[in-house]
Amino acid sequence: MVTFILGLPYESNVQSTPDLWVLIAAVGLPFVAAAATPLVARALGNRTAYYAAAVAAVCFGLVVTLAGTHGGAAVTWVGPLSISLGFYVDGLATLVGALASGVGVLVFCYSAGYMRGEPGQPKYYATMLAFMGSMLGVVYAGDLVVLFCFWELTSIASFLLVGHYSDRRESRYAARKAMLVTVGGGLFMLVGFVLLASTVGTYSLTAMLAEPAATRAAVEGAGLLLPILSLVGIGAAAKSAQVPFHVWLPDAMAAPTPVSAFLHSATMVKAGVFLLGRVRPILVGGDWTTAFVALGLLTMLVAAVLAVCASELKELLAYSTVSHLGLIVAGFGFSGALGSETAVFHILNHAAFKAALFLVAGIVAHEAGTRAFDDLSGLRHDLPITAGVTVVAALGMGGVPPFNGFYSKELLFEASYEFAHHAGGLAWLAPVVAVVGSVFTLAYSLRFLSIFFGERPETLGSVHRAPWPMTGPPVVLAAIAGVIGLGGITAALGAPLAPVESFVGWVVASTLGPDAAGHAASFHYYLPTYVSPAVVMSALAIVGGVACFLRWRRVRWATRGLLDALPVLRADGWYDRLVYGANHASTRVQRALWTGHLRTYAAWTFVGAVALAGFGYVATGVAVPNATPSLGATLTIILAVAAVAAIAAVRAPSHVAGVMALSVVGFAVTVFFVLASAPDVALTQVVVETVTFVVFLVILDKLPSYYGRIERSRAARDVVISVLVGALVTITTLVATDATPDAIASYFVENTVEQAGGHNIVNVILVDFRGLDTLGEISVVAMAAVTVLTLIVMRERGETP
Amino acid sequence: MTGDAEVVLALALGVLFAAGTFLVLRRDLVRVVFGVLVLSQATNVYLITMGGIGGVAPILGHGGETTDPLVQALVLTAVVIGFATTALLLVLVYRTYQEHGSIDLDDIQGAVR
Repeated sequence: MVTFILGLPYESNVQSTPDLWVLIAAVGLPFVAAAATPLVARALGNRTAYYAAAVAAVCFGLVVTLAGTHGGAAVTWVGPLSISLGFYVDGLATLVGALASGVGVLVFCYSAGYMRGEPGQPKYYATMLAFMGSMLGVVYAGDLVVLFCFWELTSIASFLLVGHYSDRRESRYAARKAMLVTVGGGLFMLVGFVLLASTVGTYSLTAMLAEPAATRAAVEGAGLLLPILSLVGIGAAAKSAQVPFHVWLPDAMAAPTPVSAFLHSATMVKAGVFLLGRVRPILVGGDWTTAFVALGLLTMLVAAVLAVCASELKELLAYSTVSHLGLIVAGFGFSGALGSETAVFHILNHAAFKAALFLVAGIVAHEAGTRAFDDLSGLRHDLPITAGVTVVAALGMGGVPPFNGFYSKELLFEASYEFAHHAGGLAWLAPVVAVVGSVFTLAYSLRFLSIFFGERPETLGSVHRAPWPMTGPPVVLAAIAGVIGLGGITAALGAPLAPVESFVGWVVASTLGPDAAGHAASFHYYLPTYVSPAVVMSALAIVGGVACFLRWRRVRWATRGLLDALPVLRADGWYDRLVYGANHASTRVQRALWTGHLRTYAAWTFVGAVALAGFGYVATGVAVPNATPSLGATLTIILAVAAVAAIAAVRAPSHVAGVMALSVVGFAVTVFFVLASAPDVALTQVVVETVTFVVFLVILDKLPSYYGRIERSRAARDVVISVLVGALVTITTLVATDATPDAIASYFVENTVEQAGGHNIVNVILVDFRGLDTLGEISVVAMAAVTVLTLIVMRERGETP
Repeated sequence: MTGDAEVVLALALGVLFAAGTFLVLRRDLVRVVFGVLVLSQATNVYLITMGGIGGVAPILGHGGETTDPLVQALVLTAVVIGFATTALLLVLVYRTYQEHGSIDLDDIQGAVR
């Protein structure tokens, strides 16, 4: 499949800009097809797989037509925020897009055999198609917002796929875990994107990647390089299951095996490393190297150890994926072209051998009925084709020459050696960790391979050969891996596999920082014919790996002991503690807040309002203005009366006395309205105050004279809250009266006579300009009246609510 | 529009809001209604002040700069709706007493949950 796009020319002079409609078709088609899947599945039944495979093949075709183009295409989406539905095509996008759609074709074909007769097929194929579409959206996104949206869509789709067997408890747990970790990481990434966009002034990735040096300068100028790098890095690490986010990927094997193959090789986890490659030209530098080399190599080592401890096929492969992603992350971490070559070439190689191995694991589980290493051995007689595939793929995974994984691992050794050679000191840890990680990698790869060799155990029942839809795809993948591997031998003999080299070189070019540009087009790989540090490191890794495999029991015993001593390596704890802790905390908070006491709610509302407004004042640095007593004596006296009356209402010894004090407040406010030149409001207030007073007296007559004694402790707390509210209001009033607001009143002053023929502006506003509001007000009064009537009449009729 | 920080007004509003808050937090339902009333009165005063209290009443033909008529129209609406809700609240208190035989929120809380 890769050979299609490899035949294209990639020299810069023939690169044209991509066609927007091809891009929209490539990204949109899987979603349309997903929506149509339930109908199609009704007609096709078990053959729906081929429908999905055809869709994936069309997408792959579209990706191929896009290969060789370079640049962005966009339609405006949210104009004022400079967000567009933008797409961007370059080498990296083409590589990962081709993997997503190409592996998609194979995985769908495989599903035809694997999912045959299983319930829930329409859901499965629809989600898989949407998953592939989201992944294509991620790789072709030319705008940060578009990238984020598709990024989260992949999380949602993988949630549905991991939880495919929704009646199983561990499936649901795994799905939730995958979702929470990756979506949580996505939120960090979103914050990073917003910071990035606000510094650069656009959300357009196309624009940023066109001027990586200027973008980096803007980010550094704002002092935001480190925050943006960390936030985007957390997003990528969560998606690519880097330490300590590697907790979700091994659990995700609860999904059907084709999903695992797809998720581990070409989608989801590759989105994380894709993101690193995407922002690499902008962010690469000293901090970048420190962060991602450390993260990647640590992940590579830890996950390789965990893979050795695995007791079944899929668990081993899951941890091995984490480990290889660590290798890719570390590759992107090294500055310069060598690091990019490591990462890009390994993305390609890993997709080929890992997808093949997962499909092999699926075949073994399907035909032998078990995935446990202890039950499996000597399968080569039963599954000869599968055994052949595994030889190529597993040795590629282990980095044995001349299989494909060897070359990218060799590049990693070279990059890490050069990095250490330049940086010195602690940097020498990098090549050491890389070698130790590779030792374990080879050991577990051989262990995986060993299920096909040795004695066939008695306990293993009859094992049938898998149907061709299941054997075909891994054969294709292994063939690709094998060809890439052979390319190294022919290159050493002077005939390199030019299409692969020029394609990878083109992809590498799109991930280079501004200082390393120009290095790109000359990517070469070959079987080394002379001794270099990297060759020595490879030899060490291979000797160590074989030695470990020969003493497998002791090694596994030791690594398991290490794991028991350091459970932190598995890192399951933090996730459970976080999620269940949040659960408990929310229960406790709910118990404290939701007491059923009116005053609890009121108190929290008041305290919350004070805290929020106060925080707003502090955060915006509002200064309390110099206070000048500018009100006249009359107003001062009236306000004093209102304040004293309010205090009297608080201290009133009976309901009636309270109502009297309230009336004083109300009429003092009326006088205030008169003095404040608001005659209409004052008139209304007089009427309302009078009627309210009457209603109070009518109702109080029917109520007991009970007047709850004020408890000291409670009163003290309430006084504190009241004083806080009062203080906040005082400050607010000071600040507000000090300001001169923009008033829209002049419009009404000028147009009242002309448009409405009235001189009393307030009246005109109420009945003319805002007449509908007044209608609403009257409706409220009418509704209140009806409610009052209902409440009283119902009771008198003896009904209960 | 005054443009000056009104210290007297600010203090008076502070006291009114504090008193209203304290009343809302009581266990006697009638006092809670008192509190809501005081709070809405104080809010109306605050809003009217925002329209400026130094100008002429917003009736054309009197000369001089008028106060903000829009704010006054708003507050007028608020006063009327405030009346409606107060009446409703009081009837609810009355019904609560009929249903539970008490207007002490501590007693009622036990009865409801």
